[in-house]
Amino acid sequence: MHTQETKKTVQEAEAPVVNKTVDYGKVDTNPDRERPMGRAYLKSRSQMPEEQLFAFAEYNAQEAEKIGYSNYSYWKSVWANFLKNKLAVILGIAFFLMFIFTFIASAIGKYDIYMAPDPMNRMYISPNKEFWFGTNAIGQDYWAQVWYATRASILLAVLVSLGQIALGVIIGLVWGYVRKLDRFFTELYNLIDNVPTIIYMTLIALMVGKTMLTMGIAMIAFGWLATARNVRNLVFMYRDREYNLASRCLGTKLGRILSRNIFPYLVSVIILRLALAIPMTIAYEVTLTYLGLMDIMVPSLGNLLSAASAVFPRAAYTLWFPAAIVSFISITFYLVGNAFSDACDPRNHV
Amino acid sequence: MSETVMNTNVVDFNERAKRILAQEPILSARHVEVTFSLRGKKLTAIRRTSLDLYEGETLAIVGESGSGKSVFTKCFVGMLDKNGSITNGSIMYEGEDLAKYTEKDWLKIRGKKIAMVTQDPMTSLNPLKTIGYQIRECVELHQGLKGREAKEEVYRILKAVGIPEPERRYKQYPHEFSGGMRQRVVIAIAVACRPQILICDEPTTALDVTIQAQILDLIRRLQKEQNMTIIYITHDLGVVANVADRVAVMYGGQIIEIGMANEVFFNPQHPYTWALLSALPQLGVKGEKLPAIDGTPPSLFNKIEGDAFAPRNKHALNIDFLEEPPTYEVTGTHTVKSWLHDPRAPKVEPPQAIKRLSEMDLTSKGTDPDAYHPHLDPNRETLIEVKNLQVTFGTGRRKFVAVDDVNFEIYKGETFALVGESGSGKTTIGRAIVRINPVTKGEVLFKGERISGKISREMDTKVIRSIQMIFQDPMASLNERAKVDYIVSEGLINYHLYKDDHDRQDKVRKALQEVGLLAEFSSRFPHEFSGGQRQRIGIARSLIMEPEFIVADEPISALDVSIRAQVLNLLNDLKKSRGLTYLFIAHDLSVVRFISDRIAVIHKGRIVELAEAEELFAHPLHPYTKALLSAVPNPNPYVERSKKLVVYDPSIHHYEKEKPQWVEILPDHFVYGNTPEIDGYRKELGQ
Repeated sequence: MHTQETKKTVQEAEAPVVNKTVDYGKVDTNPDRERPMGRAYLKSRSQMPEEQLFAFAEYNAQEAEKIGYSNYSYWKSVWANFLKNKLAVILGIAFFLMFIFTFIASAIGKYDIYMAPDPMNRMYISPNKEFWFGTNAIGQDYWAQVWYATRASILLAVLVSLGQIALGVIIGLVWGYVRKLDRFFTELYNLIDNVPTIIYMTLIALMVGKTMLTMGIAMIAFGWLATARNVRNLVFMYRDREYNLASRCLGTKLGRILSRNIFPYLVSVIILRLALAIPMTIAYEVTLTYLGLMDIMVPSLGNLLSAASAVFPRAAYTLWFPAAIVSFISITFYLVGNAFSDACDPRNHV
Repeated sequence: MSETVMNTNVVDFNERAKRILAQEPILSARHVEVTFSLRGKKLTAIRRTSLDLYEGETLAIVGESGSGKSVFTKCFVGMLDKNGSITNGSIMYEGEDLAKYTEKDWLKIRGKKIAMVTQDPMTSLNPLKTIGYQIRECVELHQGLKGREAKEEVYRILKAVGIPEPERRYKQYPHEFSGGMRQRVVIAIAVACRPQILICDEPTTALDVTIQAQILDLIRRLQKEQNMTIIYITHDLGVVANVADRVAVMYGGQIIEIGMANEVFFNPQHPYTWALLSALPQLGVKGEKLPAIDGTPPSLFNKIEGDAFAPRNKHALNIDFLEEPPTYEVTGTHTVKSWLHDPRAPKVEPPQAIKRLSEMDLTSKGTDPDAYHPHLDPNRETLIEVKNLQVTFGTGRRKFVAVDDVNFEIYKGETFALVGESGSGKTTIGRAIVRINPVTKGEVLFKGERISGKISREMDTKVIRSIQMIFQDPMASLNERAKVDYIVSEGLINYHLYKDDHDRQDKVRKALQEVGLLAEFSSRFPHEFSGGQRQRIGIARSLIMEPEFIVADEPISALDVSIRAQVLNLLNDLKKSRGLTYLFIAHDLSVVRFISDRIAVIHKGRIVELAEAEELFAHPLHPYTKALLSAVPNPNPYVERSKKLVVYDPSIHHYEKEKPQWVEILPDHFVYGNTPEIDGYRKELGQ
């Protein structure tokens, strides 16, 4: 019913109001404010004579098309929810500070890690003012040893975990999405998974070498299995959604479908797995060293623990310091990982 | 032969109105306000609305998603979600205020006096327990029956809801039941305790039209037997016309108009009701635009000032933006919340389509003079040709033939519709054409060249650029983690169809504008949009490839009524401006009649009839087509309630003796049948 006449009444009706807006003194100048539906300048009924109240208002198609939905952002909500978990946040910060401290610790300390000027007289000195964490079997400063080992172990764990997760995600994506390869990867998975990993590790250590590099690569080579299977199962959930069909209709290549359509949905799971993989790798490194499958020349938490356990309960402090650090890292990553996974669940975004 | 069921539910609305006016309400909701807290924000889902419910009546509540119709009725059974609560008002039932009930109090009422049937029968049944066990549990709990008695009662109930062989069915699990049967079981459980009020939340939305009619009939019969009051919540005006004595229209968390069904359908007062009714494709004139409602429903997070519908209302008054309208009484049973009804307001005539509704008998419809008649056009150009198409899924013993021996041609510039019930294989055919589903037998030709099976790389690129698809569910068909900009330009990126990034953004902007969206939407994520807007983003994504042919797979069935018209108009406009050809897949014949030039009816993977749209409606031949046509919902309550339902029984065909064939019985009117059947059809046509 939008005839010429009604348009005219609209203009007549609104013209004086527009002119008067200056007088109200309350004109909203902030364009970003969330306005209720309607015209910003129409403030209340009293500002309009009654005959105008019942005149037709101007129809504005743009106003009607305005987005009526909330400005919800997934990652913002994840972050806000994560910050609510105070313990996880504090532990996360504490871990970060400790990692930085591993770099400064040797500068603060009085001795170099390898320096043992008088080994025979300095064996197993209990912590004192001179040697804050005491000394080890060959008289080296344990303070320097512990912090150096922590740094090395964390770096190894982070790199190995990243490698495992990256390999696992890539294989898992292809495994889950490409139906033809499902059989191949399933058999490969079964083949590798049915033999205990420790046997592979032993073989590699004995045949290739026990250096940190070889063992790190070996850990990556056999550590992707769990992630790949997890990712594959998740891909199943998204594989047949219509938006992937739409991408196929548009001729999108496999790599792009995986990276743009599937991967973004898995990010939260991947971060969680990464968070849990780091303490696992540290623990695994400790196990390997304890079993004598890893080089003992470079101090790592595993080395210190296995050396300390050999003399336990004598010089028990050599066990307590690295054990405390391993426990701290494990608990921190476990709690932070869980807090993050809770924060990632959209059902908690209330 | 197929049997005919006569619908005997013609009512006298005036007589019912008198009965209602003479009664005291059994349930009376006053100024109910419901708020939810969501992500730190407050959402007012129900904004102080009132409703009276009378004994034995059927009330239908209609509204789009987000209008609050479900939330409002959930208040009556105490089933609000955890983060929601009634923050104002009262719900008086049997002298007590339900709004103040605790979880313990609800146990007296819920299921016993007020029961609910929900939309999806699969989620409301326990898949690990037998059907018998689940009904029996309810009987034992609420009626106190034990052992044999309880079992007998379950048999009786199963029989009452029309499930044959109750002794055998008793021991079966939900997955052994079809969708319609499952919904019968859910209804059986709901009525087992003889509730006074039964709330049916979209009870037939997930079901096919033919099943839908049976379920509605069942509910009506049970209502008569037990003198129940029934509240239907639905967005389907055909269902409303079929069942309702009274109709309440909800918008933005309020009932904006309520009245007897004849009052609301033939003499609606609120501009939203006008818009809702005139947007029905059944009332549309072919070749003309449907009167669509622009925009989207209001966000309930924001404070709504004045009339919630005002920004989308073409008849809005200035006061609509300032003050909430009061409730005006039209008749004793009909009230409306709109300033247009104020004596000071100017008179506005309801739109033409409303008049058409009261006059309407949908059988004869004006034919479009510009309609395209492919069989009369000697220069017609075949764009798509499907020959003996067969698609199978699975292998070996688990092999399932989804589509078999399908033949049709689609001509350039037409809208070809494929209509059938769920599971009939219509989507499979569409997907076989865009090459998502591999073809087992037969072939698909595009402009005379084979595009099914293995094809060359250049051909592949050509096909992808010329044939595009629009998907059913706008919620699932957009990548939630990508911006609109990427979604729309995905095809461009794949084939590098742009000069530089500036050119690409320009193309995205143009595509968005072409589908009626603002260009600045390109920097947003899909979840910020409503269903209709998302569907238009999906259309823009296909259009940017500049295709010649589009497979539209139920593009409007997941959308709200007011939004459907927008999308239908857009598809029609694009057809004209770009010379597009569509394969329009749908289950709703009324929509198909409005939009398509030719219609193919598909049943169990086979096309049973194919004809021009009006020809098919005028002379349906195959019994399945007749059954589908008879079930088409009609928004006129009188017509809908007196319609004759034809039930299709496939056992009437005797194909073991003589094989059926695909016969062109009239020019461009094909039907599937064997010789005796075809002779019968010819007789029907008077040949």
